[in-house]
Amino acid sequence: MKILIVEDEKELRSNIHAYLGNGEMVCETASNFREASMKVISFVYDVVVLDIMLPDGNGLNLLGMIKEEQPDTGILIISAKNALDDRLEGLNLGADDYLTKPFHLSELNARLKAIYRRRKLQGKSLLEFGDIKVNVDNHEVFVNDQPIVLTLKEHELLVFFITNKNRVLNKQVIAEHLWGDNVDYLDSFDFVYQHIKNLRKKIVAAGGQNYVQTIYGLGYKFSKQ
Amino acid sequence: MFRPFMGWAINSASNNMRLISKALLWYLVLATFVFGIGGIITFLLLKDALEQETDYELNRHLRQIVQSLEAEHPWQALERNTIKIFPLEEAVAEESRVYGDTLVMHPRTERFENFRKLIALRNVNEMAYRIEIIDIYFEQDDIIDVVAQILWRLFLVFSIVLLLGSFFISRRIFKPFKELLIAIDNWNLKSNSPLKIPNTNTKELQRLNEFLWRMTNKARHDYQTLKEFTENASHEMQTPLAIAQGKLEILQEDASLKEDQLKLIQSAQYSLRKLSKLGQSLSLLTKIDNQEFATTENIDFSGIVSRVSSQFEELAEMKGLKIDTQIAPDVDLQMDPMLADILVTNLLKNALQHNIPNGWIQLNLDDENLSVKNTGAPPQTPIPELFERFKKSNSSNGTLGLGLAIVKKIVDVNQMGVNYEFEEGVHEVKVMLK
Repeated sequence: MKILIVEDEKELRSNIHAYLGNGEMVCETASNFREASMKVISFVYDVVVLDIMLPDGNGLNLLGMIKEEQPDTGILIISAKNALDDRLEGLNLGADDYLTKPFHLSELNARLKAIYRRRKLQGKSLLEFGDIKVNVDNHEVFVNDQPIVLTLKEHELLVFFITNKNRVLNKQVIAEHLWGDNVDYLDSFDFVYQHIKNLRKKIVAAGGQNYVQTIYGLGYKFSKQ
Repeated sequence: MFRPFMGWAINSASNNMRLISKALLWYLVLATFVFGIGGIITFLLLKDALEQETDYELNRHLRQIVQSLEAEHPWQALERNTIKIFPLEEAVAEESRVYGDTLVMHPRTERFENFRKLIALRNVNEMAYRIEIIDIYFEQDDIIDVVAQILWRLFLVFSIVLLLGSFFISRRIFKPFKELLIAIDNWNLKSNSPLKIPNTNTKELQRLNEFLWRMTNKARHDYQTLKEFTENASHEMQTPLAIAQGKLEILQEDASLKEDQLKLIQSAQYSLRKLSKLGQSLSLLTKIDNQEFATTENIDFSGIVSRVSSQFEELAEMKGLKIDTQIAPDVDLQMDPMLADILVTNLLKNALQHNIPNGWIQLNLDDENLSVKNTGAPPQTPIPELFERFKKSNSSNGTLGLGLAIVKKIVDVNQMGVNYEFEEGVHEVKVMLK
C-alpha cells in the first residue's frame, strides 16, 4: 500500500511517516502544493493524506487535480479547521474521509486502511490475523473458520485492533475510535475494558488465541507473541 | 459581548426628562425672574411719571387760579370740589407744597381715595390766600394691578411662543442628535459595520459625532483583533499539539519502556488532548460569536434530538444510567443544524458527566421546550455562574467547564432562553425554544 503525505509542517510529516512507514505501507511525502502536484502527476498512490492548508495553494484544488489524474486514488483530508463547511466541501469534491488535527496516528492508520479496503479491494477484503478472519463489509467474523457473533462495537474494536496490529493502543484512543468525542476520559477505561473482556472471551471460547495483550499503565496491543 | 453600561440605564430611568424640556423649564424659571424685576421697574417708573404728571396739573391749576385772582375775580367764585381758597389776614411768604396720599371722599365713587394735594400760599393784589387743590391720583394698588395684568399677559404670550417655538426649533436642531441616538441604538459591536453617523453643521454635534466615530471604530478594531487572536490562537495550536501527540504515540511503541514511563506518556497525551479540546471549544465559541452560523434554514429539530440522544444511549447504559426520552415529532426550528447538534450533545454530555451511580437522565422535547433532567450532586458553583466559561460545579472531574457556556451562547444567538434548576437531587436544564 503506497501513500503520499502532503503536509507543510515538517514535524507532523515526519511523525506520520515514522508511524506508518514501519508497518506495511510505503510512504512518500510532499511539503507544498508544487511538490505534491509533481508527485501526483508522476507517480501512482493508493491513498493521499492531504492537508488542505498549504503555504502555496489550497489543498482543495490539489484534491480536484488528484481526482482528475488518478481517479482510483483514495483521499484523506487532514485539517486544523474543524469547520463543517470545509469538511463537506472536501467530501463533496471526492475526498474519502476527513480528520481534524490533532488526531491519533493509530486512528489515521485505521482510516487509511479502511479507505484502501473500500477503493482498491472493492470492499471484498478479508482481514486476517492468525486464526481470525473478518469480513469488514458484512460484519462476519470467523475464528478457525467457525463464525462467531460480535456486537457492532466489538466488531469495530476487532477491526481497529487488526488494522493497528502490533501497535500500542491506549484506552482513550480506543474509546474515541468507538464512541467519538462524547466519551469521558475517566469513563473510557471501564468501557474499553468491558468490551475487550467480552471480545477476548468470545474469541477464546471459539478456540482462538488470546491476541489482546494488556500493556500495564497504558492500554492494549494486538499481537501474536 | 457588548453590554449596556449599567450606570447609564439607571440614570435614564430615574431622571427621564428630555433635554429640550429641561432647557424649557429653566428658560421659564429665568423668564419669571426677569418678568418680576421688569414688573418692579415698570411700577416704579410708572408711579414716578404719574406723580410728575399730577403735580404738573396741580401747578397749572394753581397758576390759573392766581391769574383769575389777579384779574380780580372774587375768590368765592373760583372754589370747586377740588379747590379750596382761604383768604388770610396778612401777607405771607409765598410757598407751595405738595402732599401725597391724602384720603378724601371721592365725590362720585363715594369712597375714600388717594388724592394728591397742593397747598400754596400766595399774595395777590395785596391780599393773601391759602389755596388748596386736590387732584385724583392713581393708587399704588391700581398701578401694581395694571402692571401685573400687563406682565401676566405678556408672560403667557411669551410662554406659549417659547413652548411652540422650542418644539419646532428643537425638532429641527436636535434632529441630527436624535438620529445619532438611533444610530447608536442600532449599532452592534459584533456586526462589524461602522456607526452610521448623521450629517450636521452644529459644531458641538460634529465634535460628538467625531468622538463617537473614533470610539466605535476603536472598539470595533479591538474587538476584531481580540476575536482574530482567539480564533488564530486556538487554531494555530492544533498543529503543534498534533506533532507532540504524534511523537508520544511513536514513543509508546518502544518495547523497552517500563510501566512507569508508559504512564507518564499517557498522562502527557491526556493533557495534550484536553488542551486541544479547549482550543476547539474556544474556537467554536468565537465562531458562534462571529455569526458564522447565522441561518434562515428550517431544520427538523426532533430528528436531530432523536439522533443525538440515541448516540448517548450506549454510553449511558455503560455508565449504568437509565436514559428516558420523550420527543415530540415535527418540532421545526430556524437554526444551524451543526449548532443544534452541539446544543443537544452538550446538554446530554453534561447530564452524563455530572451524574451519580445508578442515576437517570430524562430528555423531554415538546413544541416549547427542550428539557434535560438528571440525578446528580448539588452544584458547588452559584447557579447564575454555571453558564459562564470555565465554571464547573465539580472541579475534580476532567471536564473543561465550557459545555454550558457553549449551550448559553447557542441559545443566545438563536434568540432562545435557557434556565437551570436544582431541586431534591435533580438538575434540570431547560431550553425555551421560542
